[in-house]
Amino acid sequence: MQSSEQEEDLRLLRESARTLFDRAGGSGRSRKLRDAGGEFDPDMVRELGEAGVFGVAVPEEQGGLGMGLAAGGVIAEEVGRVIAPEPVVATIGLGLGLLRRLCPEHPKLEQLVGGEASLAVAWQERGPGGASADATCRYADGKLTGGKAWVVGAGGTQDFLVVAEADGGPVLVLAEASADGLVTTRRAQADGSSLGELSFSGTPAAELACGAAVQGALSEAVADATALAAAELVGLSQRAFEITLDYIKTREQFNKPIGSFQVIQHRAVDLNVMCEVAQAAVREVLMRMDGETDASIRARLASRAKARAVTAARKVTRDAIQLHGAVGYTDEFDIGLYLNRALVLSAWLGDDAYHRRIWFDAREEEGAAQ
Amino acid sequence: MTDWNAMSDAEFRKEVRGFLEAEYPEELRHLPHRPKFAEIEHWHRKLHTKGWVAPAWPAEYGGMGLNAAKLLIFYEEQQRWGVNRGRDMGVQMVGPLIIKFGTQKQKNYWLPRILSCEDIWCQGYSEPGAGSDLANLRTRAEIDGDDFVINGQKIWTTMAHDATHIFMLVRTDPDAPKKQQGISFVLASMDQPGVEVRTITTLSGETEFCEVFFDNARTPRENLVGELNKGWTMAKALLSFERIFIGSPSLAQNALGQLESFARGRGAFDDPVFRDRFAQAALDVEDHAALYSRFADQLKRGETLGADVSMLKIWVTECFQRITELMIEAAGPDGGTVGPLQVGNVSVDVLASFYKARPTTIYGGSNEIQRNILSKAVLGLPD
Repeated sequence: MQSSEQEEDLRLLRESARTLFDRAGGSGRSRKLRDAGGEFDPDMVRELGEAGVFGVAVPEEQGGLGMGLAAGGVIAEEVGRVIAPEPVVATIGLGLGLLRRLCPEHPKLEQLVGGEASLAVAWQERGPGGASADATCRYADGKLTGGKAWVVGAGGTQDFLVVAEADGGPVLVLAEASADGLVTTRRAQADGSSLGELSFSGTPAAELACGAAVQGALSEAVADATALAAAELVGLSQRAFEITLDYIKTREQFNKPIGSFQVIQHRAVDLNVMCEVAQAAVREVLMRMDGETDASIRARLASRAKARAVTAARKVTRDAIQLHGAVGYTDEFDIGLYLNRALVLSAWLGDDAYHRRIWFDAREEEGAAQ
Repeated sequence: MTDWNAMSDAEFRKEVRGFLEAEYPEELRHLPHRPKFAEIEHWHRKLHTKGWVAPAWPAEYGGMGLNAAKLLIFYEEQQRWGVNRGRDMGVQMVGPLIIKFGTQKQKNYWLPRILSCEDIWCQGYSEPGAGSDLANLRTRAEIDGDDFVINGQKIWTTMAHDATHIFMLVRTDPDAPKKQQGISFVLASMDQPGVEVRTITTLSGETEFCEVFFDNARTPRENLVGELNKGWTMAKALLSFERIFIGSPSLAQNALGQLESFARGRGAFDDPVFRDRFAQAALDVEDHAALYSRFADQLKRGETLGADVSMLKIWVTECFQRITELMIEAAGPDGGTVGPLQVGNVSVDVLASFYKARPTTIYGGSNEIQRNILSKAVLGLPD
């Protein structure tokens, strides 16, 4: 049970984030950005930064609000509700997650918190069957070679934080967007956004941190981002459900609202229950991650959250289309935007089947260790 | 008199756990069937001496006077240790009814007899034509001098064959404009010529449910509880705490624990498909517990629970059923075998769990009824 003071802080944060996104145009703004080419709005990033959104989980002594991941989850849920394309979760979880753990003095941290700059984190690499466990991207003599994949927020003028292998182990380096030998290929995503595939050929980059600390910070940051992506899916699912509920209350067939038919009612209840379980579970996870220092337990909690959120979002967004009937299959109705965003968020950082596997294996290891 | 509510939650939990672990008879832990009173009488005596028979009743009536937070802890500890609920219809249903709506005379007479189990109660609600549609009940109680004369039939009456008394909803005004009106709450003795009990054999071979036939049975008019024809409202008022209790995680958690040790012994975890299905079930249980905590926190803050608490029951009972299906799957060719299956040093009665899970989606308001309630009262969907 959280303290009532903390609960009140989170409630106020939720209210102000919701007002901010609604005033900016809600899901309508997201549709416009998609139609205009799919990238996010730098002015919105600045506005979010000024409101303190990116710094919620950054400690106060580093210029953040120091409210923890629970507060990050509140923001992520609100982002999900309006399917905002800004890389809020990637910034809070990955970008700031790495910088605040490895080099809190770096000026980029302050710029990211303030929304004055964006930074895309490149850490995954493509293997034969999906994500590779081994890094082939090399860093030597101040230059990067190799490639990175699935980079969120790589469509603009932002710089890149890259995790690469050096002779002394893993390093975190900073490469400028316009650096020599950097080629960015954009892979179009279902929601109109893109993921970047980067290739480096002798690309100059500045080393920010090296050694085992980089691996540790990366695992922690990925766990944070995974749990926050779960929260974004929770907000998305909740809003998709609300839209659907409104629709079945007003759409009439056989001279009655279709929401008066029991089969529709029971399906709506099942979606509602899914949403509530997901919300309770993900919020509990974020709260517990804030109080947990053991990295493997934090990772297992994050997997639990993402597994639940993806399961719920899949059920809710698919059923939402069915309950809308034929108009659900049109681009004109907003419900499809939620489905498309759910597809992208579910695949990013691992889907439910993946995270159940991770969760189960971690549970087995803990059991064996005891 | 101890003021349990003044203790910290942790202290209270320790106190309850200590007592149960020291005093609860080992052979009664995780009892797979519903016991007759004689089987658990020695445990009941211990509880009675300790003054712990009625945790929710106010202290002035011989209860522990626990607030919602302490009550949840008490039940959690009972479930954790596999403590049988005993014959608790009197404590859970009749006592609260009399405390809330009864006369002083009724309180003085009945409450001590409930605590001592001098009277053992069963609940006469359902009828052949009144299950989910309970307000459709037809059993009549007509005034004849100082008595009610009762005619009709109750069914699914749990342990009626081992009860001395029945508390029942009866129709006292067949001409009321709405069927919810004209229903009253009466108490009656089972030990009389006009009452006949027949046990019903269930799918699992148990006989805990009964049919009870009333053929000019009698009960004094002073055994009416509350106002005449106001029984329906009273019955609904009794359900508030039961609605979170019926959705508590324990049934599914215990089953999951059994599944895990059984599946491990059987080597079922070597199969990646089984591993994933187990992980799904385990996460379903863990995430349900998160939602349960949210409602429990509401109670602890002294708030009243809304109709949305029904979702706990839907989720946990359906999850419980999926877990017992996985047990059968893990049993492989033994999946149809009656009785305990031994693997290593654990023994699991797979079919007993499976059968136990079946009625959970039917009783306490079937899951379909729960969905009706949620769709109307929570989602505001139209008729």
